[in-house]
Amino acid sequence: MPLAQTSTIVPVVIDDALCIADKGCTVCVDVCPLDVLRIVEGPDGSPVTAHMKYDECWYCMPCEADCPTGAVTVNLPFLLK
Amino acid sequence: MNALFEDFDEIAELAEGLDDASPGTRIMAVMELANSADPAAIAHLARAISDADAGVRKQAALALTAFDGPETAAALVSALTDSDPAVIEAAALSLTELKDPEAGDAILPHLGDTDTVKLTACFAGIKELRRTEAMGAAITALKHEDAGVRIGAVGVIGWLQDEGSLPALRDAAKDVDTNVRRTALAALGFSKSEHAEATLIAALNDPEWLVREAAAETLAKVGGAKCVTALRIALEDEFWQVRLKAVRSLGKMNAVEAALEIAPMMDLLIPNLRKECAAVLGEMAAPETRPYLEKYVDDTDPDVRKNVRWALGKIDAQ
Ligand code: SF4
Ligand code: SF4
Repeated sequence: MPLAQTSTIVPVVIDDALCIADKGCTVCVDVCPLDVLRIVEGPDGSPVTAHMKYDECWYCMPCEADCPTGAVTVNLPFLLK
Repeated sequence: MNALFEDFDEIAELAEGLDDASPGTRIMAVMELANSADPAAIAHLARAISDADAGVRKQAALALTAFDGPETAAALVSALTDSDPAVIEAAALSLTELKDPEAGDAILPHLGDTDTVKLTACFAGIKELRRTEAMGAAITALKHEDAGVRIGAVGVIGWLQDEGSLPALRDAAKDVDTNVRRTALAALGFSKSEHAEATLIAALNDPEWLVREAAAETLAKVGGAKCVTALRIALEDEFWQVRLKAVRSLGKMNAVEAALEIAPMMDLLIPNLRKECAAVLGEMAAPETRPYLEKYVDDTDPDVRKNVRWALGKIDAQ
């Protein structure tokens, strides 16, 4: 699977201001059937925010639907809309 | 310390997160309380449903799907007047997950409410709980100006399956709203009475095909010679969706006398309908339909040819 180069060009974008991974949330990571989301850790190993680690997506949407703070946006490609 | 106190301590500890200043921490506390699946968490979640933050309130409403009973229902009903539509939507959804009839105790007092959204959610929530006390309010609500409320009321009446409610369902089958009529016709399926039969047969002439489709589908449950005659006429409906349901119902009723009317429909260019016709002809296994089926034994549509081959096998097995 190709590694995502930057978090801005991948289909799933996380709003860091809304993400509560630092409080222990891992919902989006847990529900993703492709296992492409991860929690970014700070230098001390503590969770900071979620991000898309692998640039691969089924556009199945549970990450966006289940995020408790509405931090996840899945950008559907034009042909899927 | 015994196990009960240990559980209590654990829930009390999780609930402490609900008092944190950060909404994120409160949301996590809500999720952890739900994951505990411990009924002691319900009271804490009921408190979280009036949190200052709408995100916490929404999460609490969703989290309550993990629980049941009157306390859960009461908390969810209280969220139906929330200022945030997302919270109301979450609470309405969770209400439909309730399965414990006793949960209805908290919903019943709200079935005369004037708030349309709340009333619709309460009818949807109490429907599957089958509380007979809801019947009166549901019949009254059939005259409500909002179609969503009327659909909810029909749902309650339909689940109660009481022959005494037939006049109300027959009135609802003539409602101005298409979806109310469809729901009422589907609800009539429990009854084997002549009145239900007559209402369903009359609905096969409804101007809306969705209503005719619902009538054609439900007639299979009612049964009887008059239903077969009406469904045979419905085989010529201008909408293939209605014809499909008529074919399916005739199959369920094993109305072999209609086999030679169904068989020529194999020549139509509608894959779903042809697939259904082949399946029903197989169930009927009438040898005289064999020539109609044989033409399509190598049909380009895999579902059609699968059903055709299965049907021919059933005829051969006669
Ligand atoms: S589900 Fe939402 S809040 Fe939780 S880790 Fe993922 S993005 Fe962050
Ligand atoms: S849309 Fe589906 S595949 Fe894509 S990141 Fe979300 S959960 Fe994973």
